[in-house]
Amino acid sequence: MASGVTGYAAISTKVRAMYSNLLTPQDISRLSDSPDFPSLISSLKNTQYGPYLASLKDNELTPRRAIQQLRRRLADSYSSVVQMSPEQTRSLVKQLFRYFELGNLKAVLRSIQTVSAWNPDVAPWDRVNEVLFPFGSFSTLPAQAMVEAGNVPAAVELLKGTPYESTMSFAMKRFSAEQNLFPLEVALDLDYWRRLWAEAKKLSGLDREAATKIVGGLLDMNNLMWAIRYRVYHKLSEEEIINYTLPFGFRVRDEDVRAIAAGGDIAAIVSRAFPSIADVNTLLEHPQAGLPKLEVLLKRQVIRQCTAAFIGNPFHIGLPLAFLILSDLEIQDLVVLIEAKSSAVQDDDFRSVLLKTSLLN
Amino acid sequence: MFFPREMTEVELIIPSKDLVPVTKVLSGRGVFHQVDSAFLGLESLGPSTWQDKAANYSTLERRLQSIMQTLGLTEEQKGSTEFETIVDIESVRPAVDRIEGDVKGVGDQLGVEKKRLESLEAQLKQLEPISHLNFEVGSLRKSDHVHSILGVMKADTKVIERLDSIRVPHVLFELKRDAKDAVVWLLGSKNNSDELERAAKSAFLNPLTLPEEFSGTPEQVVEKTRKAIEESKQKIFELETQLGKLGGVHKTELQKLWWDAHVSRLIADAIARFGQLRHTYVVVGWVPTADMALLTEKLKQASREILIEALPTERSGHHDNVPVALLNNKWLRPIQELVTTYGRPSYGELDPTILVALTFPILYGAMFGDLGQGLVLMLVGFLSHKKIFMKGLSSLGLLLVYCGFFASIFGVLYGSIFGFEGHLIEEYLHFHFEPLWLSPLENILTILGFAIDAGIVILLFSYLLSLFNMARARDWAHFWFGHTGVVAIAFYFCFLTILNGLLGTTPIAPKIAAAISQLPLPFNILTPVFAFGVMFNGLFRNIAEGHRPLIEGGIVMYLVTAFMDLFESAISMLSNTLSFVRVGAFAVAHGGLSLAFFSLAGEEPTIGFWITLLIGNIFIIGFEGLIVYIQTMRLHYYEILGKFFHGGGMRFEPLRLNSSQEEA
Repeated sequence: MASGVTGYAAISTKVRAMYSNLLTPQDISRLSDSPDFPSLISSLKNTQYGPYLASLKDNELTPRRAIQQLRRRLADSYSSVVQMSPEQTRSLVKQLFRYFELGNLKAVLRSIQTVSAWNPDVAPWDRVNEVLFPFGSFSTLPAQAMVEAGNVPAAVELLKGTPYESTMSFAMKRFSAEQNLFPLEVALDLDYWRRLWAEAKKLSGLDREAATKIVGGLLDMNNLMWAIRYRVYHKLSEEEIINYTLPFGFRVRDEDVRAIAAGGDIAAIVSRAFPSIADVNTLLEHPQAGLPKLEVLLKRQVIRQCTAAFIGNPFHIGLPLAFLILSDLEIQDLVVLIEAKSSAVQDDDFRSVLLKTSLLN
Repeated sequence: MFFPREMTEVELIIPSKDLVPVTKVLSGRGVFHQVDSAFLGLESLGPSTWQDKAANYSTLERRLQSIMQTLGLTEEQKGSTEFETIVDIESVRPAVDRIEGDVKGVGDQLGVEKKRLESLEAQLKQLEPISHLNFEVGSLRKSDHVHSILGVMKADTKVIERLDSIRVPHVLFELKRDAKDAVVWLLGSKNNSDELERAAKSAFLNPLTLPEEFSGTPEQVVEKTRKAIEESKQKIFELETQLGKLGGVHKTELQKLWWDAHVSRLIADAIARFGQLRHTYVVVGWVPTADMALLTEKLKQASREILIEALPTERSGHHDNVPVALLNNKWLRPIQELVTTYGRPSYGELDPTILVALTFPILYGAMFGDLGQGLVLMLVGFLSHKKIFMKGLSSLGLLLVYCGFFASIFGVLYGSIFGFEGHLIEEYLHFHFEPLWLSPLENILTILGFAIDAGIVILLFSYLLSLFNMARARDWAHFWFGHTGVVAIAFYFCFLTILNGLLGTTPIAPKIAAAISQLPLPFNILTPVFAFGVMFNGLFRNIAEGHRPLIEGGIVMYLVTAFMDLFESAISMLSNTLSFVRVGAFAVAHGGLSLAFFSLAGEEPTIGFWITLLIGNIFIIGFEGLIVYIQTMRLHYYEILGKFFHGGGMRFEPLRLNSSQEEA
């Protein structure tokens, strides 16, 4: 079992090389100055995303297709990290990658629920396929067959033999009773993060330390936002919030989540876990506008944490994980830009939600 | 050999009547990379019906797969010749309907019975843990004060703990658990029934739903359930036997139907991406030029009226859209893997596989020079390649053989065998073995200097290859003013004279730098001139390519950036050049590590002495061998390939009927 210098020499070299190809905050800032969608795409063609966009002809370059192509680069990054990572960490990286498959699964289930409202001239699969993450050969999801199955129970039947079978079998009873995708999605999310955390905890030494820090950072953000949203938006009961959240994390403790569930002071809890986020009280005065802003601030914390992983000893799984997360967040920024430019959104409305440009300050 | 396979762009005009035979030829030979040319068709003809046909074939194929799955039959791919033409769905539908009719009834019954069995087993699993309790099962539903939820949830300790941690007064019993499910019993006051129900629901605790007909004590219910399970299993066995017989009867017919539907779907998929005109179809794609003649002959056999326009594509210029088929040489495959891990060559670009095939083993051998250990490495590589030993490394087996071979050669040059050098060979091995060149341990500075010289040669060669690539791509702006362009190379020469001045007559001073300094050229004038060129490379490129504005941002900021560019270029030239010191340093370290084991072994040739040396050699081969491999890879990825190789080529993915066909 290769680890330490021997296991990570090749991958850390490669990841460092790929890391240097990520867009800088200045690049993102320059891209956001593009006057419109075509000029944004033409600027992007001069970046590392160029080869991915080059395969699309000008008449095919819709915002949705452009986003799909950008995501292909992320899929390629995952694929190369998975192949090069030491054996003992491979299942963790694969599980992290599964986040996008989880997204695909949710998209497929949602499409099945809403397909009746769609234009009958377009085949449902063609529409769904356009929004799915290009997961490639790693996918275990029979997505097309699920869409064509036409109803959720039949589609879920097709998940037999996949990592989602067991979770879905428990959650389906509630779906049958409520005809609502919420329980299915919650169960899938919780299962995903539990598995990811378990994979991180399975490691030893530096790998475990780095993985729990990086994965824990992501998990904290999600867990905290879930707890707050369940209480503020969905008005769920204490026991439901407890069951729909996770009892572990890096900075956000079980007590924090329980306190939120029990009606405690959210601002105080967020400030304790993330002291660098200022004015949480002001943010939460108007939750409708404040919570998305809080989420952006938490994502920026993740970026800082991932960037910090590149300082110090590089011979652990932290570097590849941090690189993959940074790549994903970079694409989130590009998606914001593409959508903003294609729908002519005012500068002030989208610049504040860009993640990477915060590093300029 | 030095480039990806030469490709020919092919445009075909196919008469509608010959559409299928021609597509069969294109798909069957595994040499045609299709380009979506549906947009070339006439829009007035409406949407292509082939997309619908492809969807229908896909549905038919899935139906057949479903039937075969029910019968436990596997799909067997056949040769591309075992296929006449695409099937008419209507003509095969009766056969599929007939077989499906035979199978579906039994299959559905089997499905229902399996579900029933599953449900009975679930009930049994829930009831077994409470089978010893003496109470009426129905009373669970009738309690006045206690709210009780008996059910199954995911067997995940964390989920169960989470449910147990709710603040409402309650008791949670975990009655039974297996790998997947846990049977739990949640009890609390009737007053808190809402909270308990919400907690159970949100923890995905699925309550036990005992059928009304089950009455009596748990023990009695368990007995009845076990009997029902036995009956159900017997029925399942009978149905499976029946399906097995049906499988035997329909196997050959189903295999043929599936293969026909499968190939028809692939062909319809391909045709859907053709451009449809009124009476003809336009097909665009790429074929390796070497395969073009045979493909043309087969196409002409399939259609006498086909129009074929073949445009061999030169490698010069930009060719982002040309797919790249690499040479398929099994001896070079591990090297090719190393290269493609870095990047796939683009069409006009030099394929560095041959170069890496030379430099990788040589640099590895220079760092790991030992005759005995090199031969062992060769042997391990050979056994691994043949999958006799260390099967997991079989893809790298040949690379180990090459590296081991050069390690042996350098072992002869360094006079090292299993770590024994100089007098140690005569003393312990009793034969004479002088270094053919030099012993790294005794000539440390000489070998370090030689390594830098070798590095300079490799770097200069890489720069020249970069110029070659840029000239072929007619990228003249970068040819002159790129990071590895003419100006940068000229500056590198000047830089070497500076390096020579700094290192002077020290033993590690590179001899090539000294030789360059002796050239009758005014380096004190040329150095600032080319430094100026490197500093303003970006500006010159913008002028050459007609990009405006010439300078982005203010002039002051631009000057600062330009100076930093020069500084960075100089630093990277220094680090790139000195990076090759490691080749010499590892050759020295290799000898040093062996000496360390000799110190541990002592002087007397006892059993302990030989065991220590054996362990030492195993350690050196395993540990140092790996580190040297990583260093060699690093030198190639950073110092060598980065200079001239960009990659980014599109993979050649030909149409194939049979997924087991080899890549052309």
